[in-house]
This record gives sequence, C-alpha cells and structure tokens, in this order.
Amino acid sequence: MNMHTQPQRTPAETALIDAFGDRLSLLPGDGAVMLKRDDAIESIKHGLPTRRIESWHYTDLRRLLNAVPDFDPAAMAKALAPIVEGSTVLPILNGKSDAKVLSVEGITVQRLSEMLVDGSIAPGLDRYGSDDAIGALNTAFVADGYFVDIADGTELEKPIELQNLQAGGQTHVRLPVRVGANAKAVIVERQAGDGVALVSSVSQLVLGEGAEVTWLIVQEQPETATHLAQFKAHIGKNAKLTLFVMNAGGKLVRQEIVVKTTGEGADFKLRGINLLAGDTHTDVTMVLDHTVSHTTSTEIVRNVVTGKARGVFQGRINVHQYAQKTNAKMACNTLLLSDDGEFSTKPELEIFADDVVCGHGATVTEIDHDHLFYLMARGVDEKSARGLLVKAFVAEVIEELDDEAIVDALEARLDGWFLTHG
Amino acid sequence: MPAVQDTIDRVRKIDVDQYKYGFQTEIAVDKAPKGLSEDIIRFISAKKDEPSWMLEWRLEAYRRWLTLEEPTWARVNYPKIDFQDIYYYAAPKSTPGPSSLSDVDPELLKVYEKLGIPLKEQEILAGVQKTDASELEEASDNVYKSGRVAVDAVFDSVSVVTTFKKELAQAGVIFCSISEAIREHPELVKKYLGSVVPTSDNFYATLNSAVFTDGSFVFVPKGVRCPMELSTYFRMNEKNTGQFERTLIIAEEGAYVSYLEGCTAPQRDENQLHAAVVELVALDDAEIKYSTVQNWYPGDAEGKGGIYNFVTKRGDCRGHRSKISWTQVETGSAITWKYPSCILRGDDSSGEFYSIAVSNGYQQVDSGTKMIHLGKNTSSRIISKGIAAGFSQNTYRGQVSAHRKATNARNFTNCDSLLIGDQCGAHTVPYMEAKNSTAQFEHEATTSKISEDQKFYVMQRGIPEEEAIALIVNGFVKDVIQQLPMEFAVEAQKLIGISLEGSVG
Repeated sequence: MNMHTQPQRTPAETALIDAFGDRLSLLPGDGAVMLKRDDAIESIKHGLPTRRIESWHYTDLRRLLNAVPDFDPAAMAKALAPIVEGSTVLPILNGKSDAKVLSVEGITVQRLSEMLVDGSIAPGLDRYGSDDAIGALNTAFVADGYFVDIADGTELEKPIELQNLQAGGQTHVRLPVRVGANAKAVIVERQAGDGVALVSSVSQLVLGEGAEVTWLIVQEQPETATHLAQFKAHIGKNAKLTLFVMNAGGKLVRQEIVVKTTGEGADFKLRGINLLAGDTHTDVTMVLDHTVSHTTSTEIVRNVVTGKARGVFQGRINVHQYAQKTNAKMACNTLLLSDDGEFSTKPELEIFADDVVCGHGATVTEIDHDHLFYLMARGVDEKSARGLLVKAFVAEVIEELDDEAIVDALEARLDGWFLTHG
Repeated sequence: MPAVQDTIDRVRKIDVDQYKYGFQTEIAVDKAPKGLSEDIIRFISAKKDEPSWMLEWRLEAYRRWLTLEEPTWARVNYPKIDFQDIYYYAAPKSTPGPSSLSDVDPELLKVYEKLGIPLKEQEILAGVQKTDASELEEASDNVYKSGRVAVDAVFDSVSVVTTFKKELAQAGVIFCSISEAIREHPELVKKYLGSVVPTSDNFYATLNSAVFTDGSFVFVPKGVRCPMELSTYFRMNEKNTGQFERTLIIAEEGAYVSYLEGCTAPQRDENQLHAAVVELVALDDAEIKYSTVQNWYPGDAEGKGGIYNFVTKRGDCRGHRSKISWTQVETGSAITWKYPSCILRGDDSSGEFYSIAVSNGYQQVDSGTKMIHLGKNTSSRIISKGIAAGFSQNTYRGQVSAHRKATNARNFTNCDSLLIGDQCGAHTVPYMEAKNSTAQFEHEATTSKISEDQKFYVMQRGIPEEEAIALIVNGFVKDVIQQLPMEFAVEAQKLIGISLEGSVG
C-alpha cells in the first residue's frame, strides 16, 4: 500500500560519501577499524536524519546541513592559552594531535591515530543507536585525538585542557578518557576555531569506582562552523561526574550527551548554558540512563536566545526497571529575548521502576518586568538592567561549580560573549 | 518489594471480571462485506442515503489514505492491523432510522438499560437525587433546569435513538446523529465538517473521513446556552467490526454547551479497531466543554483482546474569547492513542485539558494534548494524571507551541504519574515550542509512588490498606475529577476505584 522511495541525496550527503572515497587511503586503522568505518558510511548513505527521526525532531540535519567543506590540508590552527592558568594542554590542531609532552605523573596520554592503526580503539567506535548520526560521521572519518588515562587514586591539582581547534575544512576527532578508581580531575574540552568548517568530536569518559570528575565543554566556534559533538560517559559505583556545557558559538551545533550510571551511588550533574545569537541553530540533546539502584542526577540548563537564533533542548531520563530509589531532577529555563528567536524543548521521563522520585520542569519566558522595574527604579538604565538580569540568569549556574579558578575562567568567557553580543 | 507478587496476583484476579460491560447481545445485523474499497465506501454512503458531495468527500479521503503510512511514533506496540479484515459497516437490522423510541428493537433498549443509560425520556433524572421537594418541583417545572441529559445512542455503525430532540429544538439547539445532519442540515455540515480535522490530517483521521458511519452532531446557535447536558453513548457489539464515529459540535457566538461521551464494548479475544474523529468549533465568546469517560474493553489479564482506540479529537477556538475544555477519564482500551487538542486561533481564547489515565493489565496508553497558540493573549492549562499498574505502559505526550504572532501566550502544564508495582512504566514526553518572546510557558512533571508516610497516616486512622490507597489516588486526581459534570464525576470515581482495586504496591 505504501511506497518507500529513497529520496535524492542532498549535496551534503553526496559530499560526505565522496569525501570518504577520496580519503579512504589516508584514514588510519587496522581491519577492524576499517570495517567499522565501512559500516558507518553505509548508514550515512541511507541519508542524514530528518525531523521524522524522533531524536532529531527539532534539528533536521538533512535540511540544515546544506554544504560540507572539503578537507583543507593547508589550514593552520594555533594552540590557545588554557582558560585556567597552569593547565596541562593537549592540543589537536586541524584534526591532528600536537602535544609536546605526553606524560605527566599519574596521566598517560596516547595519540588516537596510533590506537586506530593498532586497532585497540576499534570496540569504542560503535554507535549507540540507529539514530546516532554523529557517531557514524565520526567513526567514518576520525583520524586522531587523544586517549587519556588517569591512574587510580591520582588527584590532579591542575586541569587538563583538551583543545580541538580548527582553521577551516573538516576535522573529526575522538577523545576517550578513563579516570581510575578514587581519582580526581578537572578536564576542559575546548572547541573553537575559525573559518568555514565541519567538526565532529566524540568524547568518551569512563569513571571508575569513587572517581570525581568535573568536565567542562567550552564551545566557541565561529558562526561559520557546523559543530556536531557527542559526550558519552559511564559513571561507576559512588563516582561523581559534573558536566558543564557552555555553547557560545557555531552556526549549526548539536551537542549530544549520553550518560549512564553503572554503579550504585553514582551521581551525575549537568549544568548547561546556551548563549544563542545571530542566525544560528543550537541543539543540546541528553539521554541519561539510570540502570542500577540508588543513583542520583540533576540537570539545569539555562538558555538565552537573541537575534534569529533557534535553540533546542531535549533531555530524556530513562529509569530502568531495577533502578529503584533513583532520584532524578531536570530543569530547563529559557529567556527568549527577541521576536525572531525561537526555543523548543522536550524534557522526557521514561520510568520503569516504581520506587523513584523523578521530576522535570521547563519554562520559557521573557525578562520579568517586576525585576526590570526594580532595577530601573534604582536608577539603572534599561539596557544595563536587562544585561544584569540576563547575566545573573546564566551566571547562577556557573557559580554553583564551587571551584574559584574555574568559576572565574567561565565568567570571563561569559563576559566576552556579552561584550560582543550584548 | 515484597508486595509485588501479591499485587500481581490480585490484579490478575480482578482483571478479568472487573469489566462489567463485557456482555454481548445477539441482534440481527445488516453488514457490509468485509474489507475496504471504493465500493464499500459507496455502499456506506448509499446506506446512509447521502448526497453525492458527501460521497465525493469520502472517496477523496480514501484515495488520500492509500498514500499514507501508519504512524509509529507513539509508545505503543501492537501487531499490524489488517485493514481488509474488518467490517466497516454493521447496523442493527430493525432500525432504518427509527422515528420514535417505540420503533427501536427492544433488545437494543435492553442493552442500554443494562449499561445504565436511560433512553426513555421520562426515566431520565440523572445526577444527584434532589431531596428538597420545592427544588424538585422547580426542576420538573422547567425542562431547561431539570439537569436531564439528552442522549444520542450509537450502536456499532448507526445512531439508534436521540432523546430530548424536541426540547432541544425549542431552544434552537440541533442535536442529532451526523447522518441525519448530513441529510437535514447539509449547509452546516458542509461548512464545518473537516474544517478542524482536515481529511488529510493523519492516517486514522483520514481513514475515518472515508468510512465514518455515525456519530453526533450538535449545533448551538448564537447566544444560546444549551439547556441540558448532551451525551453520546457508543457501544460496539458486532464481531470484527471497526467503529468509526464522527462527532461535530459547533457553538456559535456566545453559545455554551457541555457534552459527555461514554463508551463500552463486549469482551472478546480479538482486538477491535475504534478510530473516531471529533471536531469542535467555538466562535466568538462561545464555550464548549467536552467530557469523556472512556471504558472500552481493555483486554483480559493476559493482554488478549481489547479495543484499539485511535482517536483524533481537536477543538478550534476560532472566535475571540472562546473557550474549549477537554476532560477525559481513560480507563479502558487495550491501546489508547489520543490527543484532544485546542487550536487557539481567536484572540483571548483559552483551552483546557484535564486528564486521568488509568492503565492496568497489559494496557498501553499514549495520550496527551496539543495546545497551539496562534492568537494574541491566548492561554492554556494542562493537568494530566497518569496511573500505571500491572504490566501497563502509560505515556503522556503533549505539545505546547506559540507561533510568531501569538503575543502573551500563556501555558501551564502539570503532569504527574503514579506507578503501582515495578512491572509497569510511566513516561512523559512534553514538547514545548516558543517562537514569541512574550510567551510564557511553564511545565512541571513528577513521577512517584504513593508515599509510605501518606499511607501510614491514613491507615493509622483505621482505614484498610486498599481503601487508603484508593483515597490517596482519589486525592491525587481530584483536580481533574472536579472538572467533570456531576453525573460523570461519580462514575469516574467508581471507575478509578475498580481499576486500582487490589493494586497495592
């Protein structure tokens, strides 16, 4: 009765498939890796996801990704000063690892290109679902990155900063990180660059028993870049992960967060700030699985929408049947500051266990007139009053981070954004 | 949880016989041949004595339907439906549009009697028994204040009788079956049918447009407050038959109407399809209140049988300051796929959705609402309570969106779920889309089980556990129950009691 017609390939789809053919000989990897790559490009051949795929409902990648830049071997990106002074910097410049120092006490760093060649990374290249288009794109093209291993019991004093910087063209990197039992670390994932670019970046974090990690994603791509990123984490027994995501750039951005609590007592915190401006599209999609009992999570995402920006937050909390005593809370608050901007949110709960406390809240609104009046009654002009209120709205999330150096560094990024977009 | 096995056993025990309406009636029927084709649609149209424009409308929908795919996005699982294995028309033989109650097959009347639906007008004194003599006198004195309910009884594919038509006509209200409306009031039907749910809307609505057999039609003219509650009672009886009813309610400027819908079906091993379309149109200052108590056969303890309830319900607040309010109590059906929606087109219009969905056994519910804000200063309110027990899956799926021009759109959504036992699931999938900076949306959802403290508090006062749970659950759903008309509130409360009986978790 119904006919399935294979739609015509879009220019972007064609460009990706052609690029894969052209680059095949340059892509590192043993037999197992190459099989994964073939499998991944096959799924791209079936077409990029459209809004009919539920997880891509608000980001029709097929329609939005209308051009793909070529690989640019001449592009030169330069390492940046870390946001927190004294951090161990591991730069990836135009998709190539470029670290001088590959070991610090307690940390072992390996170039991903080597692990692709010897095939040791192959099992990690699997996609997590049929709708995992970012995973597929990355697996097909990934050429480098770092594998960072933090030994059991190591307590790092200074952050590690993973810099993924580009100067145009395509870059596809992967950043697997293992944090051993009872280790403590702050890891900064910096995504920035210049020029017309397509970036795919996949971070994979495994937290051992009792480990404590604060992971900061600072995304400041130019308004000419498509940034498709994924952050995946497994949180072990009594381990704690605080993930902070700041999106303050990019033309088409999709940041996926896929987290699983795998041991009792695991705790996950997500704090997100999306600063949206210009004619851009930013999508933050989170899937959180509570698979065992006695785990907790809280998510707070704050969005500021200006200009013609379109924002999306999708958050799904799955509480599995055996995940009794789960405590999960999610909030997504949006300030819609312009008439041309839009924000869509879909906070989902999927619950199969009965002895749980789960809740979510979502709001979309403009600046509270009472608050504005309060400030203006005290002689603050309207523009400054608005600026103050908007900044307070997002800064609240940063201040929770409880580490002065990080809070200062992030507030500086925030000020930078308000300076150019305020 | 030690109580779980016990709970399951008890749920199983009551599941089979809890459904009181599972009886079947032997009645002579007139059926169309099995299957779906243009000929069947012509057959239905001819049976209904329809004008040619109506047939064309149906055929167009059918052709459209052939190009559509069955939706799969809802969180429900069921074997593929063979649309050629269904009877699309079945009518009790003796009723080629009976002119009075005395023409109706007495067997049919017995069915409705058994269901507790009074079809004899003199017997209808629904609601709370009034004890005050003067009040009673006043009530019977004035037909419009008596609190009586006019009923349109739909049996399989046809409407068998509509009560109180004359009294309603005196007030200018048209209340009849949709087939009759197509014949008697073609101008109204032509103007409004498909104007809220177009024939191309979705798979099941399109199918319904092609094959709908009966349903109710209500027209409340300008400035009239409908003198009594209107009600339609749907009964599916025939085996392998799909029920495709179509309801159209129009409230003109300043009009008000409250409409109730009830439904039951016999207990059978195979699944039956029910795909209805309900369209509401509210013009300037009009208000429509639509309440449903859905109690289709939910299937047995093993999840065998039951009704597939795939329904498209939508209200169009077309006029300024209009209001549409949906209230639903969902306890039946094997699968529910239903999203009563409001299109808030007129400025200052408002939409409301109050829902209680109780699922037990192997029931699957995917229900919620859509509030589409188009006009200025529109507001909407969503209160949804889902209760899942047994092996059931209960999903709330709702969309709230404010379009570019919908300045000062306001929404409040609250959806809570209660889980009883650890074999069931509760899911919340809200979609919020704001394209206007003055929009103000709030959404909150919680899922929890009945707290031990609450239960302890109640039981400590000498109330047995089951009653304590029923009490807490009733408190939990109170917000919704309050929105129901009195006659329904009592029934709904009883229904919730039945569905949760024994489900101590």
